[in-house]
Amino acid sequence: MDFRFTEEQQLLRDSIEKFLREDYGSAGVGIAERRKKSRKVPGFDEATWHTFADLGWLGVAIPEEFGGIGGNLVDTMVVMEELGKGLVLEPYFPTVVLGANAVLLGGSDAQKREILPGVVEGKILLALAHAEEQARNNPFDIATTATRHDSGWTLNGSKSLVLNADSAHQLIVVARTSGNRADRNGITLFLVDAKSEGITRTDYPTVDCLRASEIRFENVMVGQSQVLGTLDNGAEVLEGVIQRAILALGAEAVGMMEMLHRDTAAYTSQRIQFGHPLSQFQTVKHRIVDMFVETELTRSLLYRATMEAEAGHPDAQLDLHALKHKVGKAGRFVGQSAVQLHGGMGQTEELRIGHYFIRLTAMDPLFGDKDYHLRRYVDLMSIPEGEPDANILPF
Amino acid sequence: MDIELREEDLAFQQEVRDFLQQHAPKNSSELWSKRNDWFKALKEKGWDCPKWPVEFGGPGWSPVQHFIWDKETCAYSLPPELPFGKVMLAPILMRYGSKEQIERFLPDIRDNKVNWCQGYSEPGAGSDLASLKTKAELSADGKEYTVNGTKIWTTMGHMAQWMFCLTRTQSTGVRQEGITFLLINMKTPGITVKPIFTLGGSHHVNQVFFDNVKVPVENRIGEEGKGWTYAKGLLQHERSGIAGISRTIVALDKLKKNARAVPDGDHTLLDDRSFLSRIAETEIELRALEFAELRSLADAQHTGEPGPASSILKLKGTEMQQRMQELTIEAAGIYGLNQGFKEAGPKFSKMGMMLYLNGRAATVYGGCSEVQKDVIAKRVLGLVDA
Repeated sequence: MDFRFTEEQQLLRDSIEKFLREDYGSAGVGIAERRKKSRKVPGFDEATWHTFADLGWLGVAIPEEFGGIGGNLVDTMVVMEELGKGLVLEPYFPTVVLGANAVLLGGSDAQKREILPGVVEGKILLALAHAEEQARNNPFDIATTATRHDSGWTLNGSKSLVLNADSAHQLIVVARTSGNRADRNGITLFLVDAKSEGITRTDYPTVDCLRASEIRFENVMVGQSQVLGTLDNGAEVLEGVIQRAILALGAEAVGMMEMLHRDTAAYTSQRIQFGHPLSQFQTVKHRIVDMFVETELTRSLLYRATMEAEAGHPDAQLDLHALKHKVGKAGRFVGQSAVQLHGGMGQTEELRIGHYFIRLTAMDPLFGDKDYHLRRYVDLMSIPEGEPDANILPF
Repeated sequence: MDIELREEDLAFQQEVRDFLQQHAPKNSSELWSKRNDWFKALKEKGWDCPKWPVEFGGPGWSPVQHFIWDKETCAYSLPPELPFGKVMLAPILMRYGSKEQIERFLPDIRDNKVNWCQGYSEPGAGSDLASLKTKAELSADGKEYTVNGTKIWTTMGHMAQWMFCLTRTQSTGVRQEGITFLLINMKTPGITVKPIFTLGGSHHVNQVFFDNVKVPVENRIGEEGKGWTYAKGLLQHERSGIAGISRTIVALDKLKKNARAVPDGDHTLLDDRSFLSRIAETEIELRALEFAELRSLADAQHTGEPGPASSILKLKGTEMQQRMQELTIEAAGIYGLNQGFKEAGPKFSKMGMMLYLNGRAATVYGGCSEVQKDVIAKRVLGLVDA
């Protein structure tokens, strides 16, 4: 058991932190330009994305044989925490966390060679077309169909909130190939060229200044070689992708929550009212402490879930649900508290705390909200066997 | 970062399990009848004072080994030990006591031969402990102190042979600098112990009165006026023990088992999704805290101090104890009201209510939650006071 980060992980953290602090804002994607930037395709700075590639960040978790560094889930956690602090618009989450992991977990060797080196070099962008209107939180409720024909498959259906689809080269489409609408079995993933005939996209900015699309598939023809993973068994790959998505969002959230309590402590220490800095009023001070405590508890669950996932620990799934639940709950508390304690300034888009608050709010419904994950936690929670125990003394 | 236990830790875990299997009481009646056998077995194994340094006879465990010990022992019901001697006073004695004091007091602490109690709080000095007024005056010949005043909330004061006590030896200047740490024999003439009954109807705390109580100067720890410094270090030890995270996890598991036997129409309480959700929310917090504790143990290993995280553990650990107790009385339903007839309702009901009522104290003793938050604000977040 070891809680220390390696020297390489420290260096990675420091270099991302330094870049985002010193250089990121100058590319027109800083706080002031965020909202404006998100109104136009692609909604991020392409030159910055290539800098990410040059610095090796896009390949952190991709095996060396495909041009990456071959890091593990802890490395990705380090990256995501820093990207969260930096409020990065570039599509690390859709392309690297969702897309590349889908290819890595489900793809054939040929597909991996086709896609992954391009991701590492910043040349290929990916998007995961997964969510559907009727499904709400259930990841396996898939109505989009893929029907077989002589030379391949035909896709029909609609997908919602496909992150960065308007700049993606390839879409990873989750479709139903057999079974009933909400069955775990019968789901298949497809690697689809974003420019394929029959795809209609409506692109829009999201509340947290990112980009997303509603996508309609009408008789979109895909070849046999575009099946990603095994037929009807896509749920397994999807679960792996969702696991990595939740860990990544958790890391991003923890980074933002850390900044929120720090910024709030700093702001309330400077702001003088009634002749004193606001942070000297106990009611303000204690709320900042509560923000800190919630951040540290979320961080503990993040470390726990990440280390367990990396080790294939029996509690990994349980703690993944615990983490997403906690991120939803604590993220909301910390975000709302920061806005409240910043008073009038908290209501504006001028300070980064407002953007953290919005991003934390937007994050909750992604890949199952806090209530959904609490229900899943209850399903997996251990109930010890045996007779009732009358001795409930704490010794 | 790596969550797996190393081979030597797995071996230690097995050793602990084997030891508990062989020596731990099998049921609640053995808890009292086999009490001495258990302490003897612990001593023979060298595990009777796990937190003590090696030079004083501790086993020299790593933080991970301490965690394993806590985790494994909590699955058993073990004879309780009061923390005052071994956990709270011993580290002070080792660090600040004279060679004579160590030789005189430490062996009896180790063997549970002497019960200690803590004399800190006073009617006028609770959260603001430094305002304490119990006066100790040194005689002209420098041989003994005369103590006058009163201490309150003295846990097990009525069973204790000795008290470690903070007294005021100087009333001018900086308040913290006039405090002296004395060891007081509870049999000394002039001491009166009066019981206080707490919410659960039980007697475990007291008020202790001192009326010209003579304390030989040899019973002073360290220098006169330095008692505050000595006690502050000790509070850290008290707080890290109070959190009781592993114990609350076990208690929550027991609650689940008990809920399965609580009828709810044609179902049991365990079929109630909203009740289960609240258990789950509590368990999630505890799983976070459990890892926070591991992180703080790791800090302790690398920096030598339990670190500011220990303050978080006390604050949230006691809240979770209370939440677990609250769920327990809700599970008991109307049977939590019954404090007379033994056979009525689920067997855990009576005890559950008592633990709930007495459990409100956990967010007050050892530094109340509000003070803990002030401490975190100052020490961890660097927020300055008015």
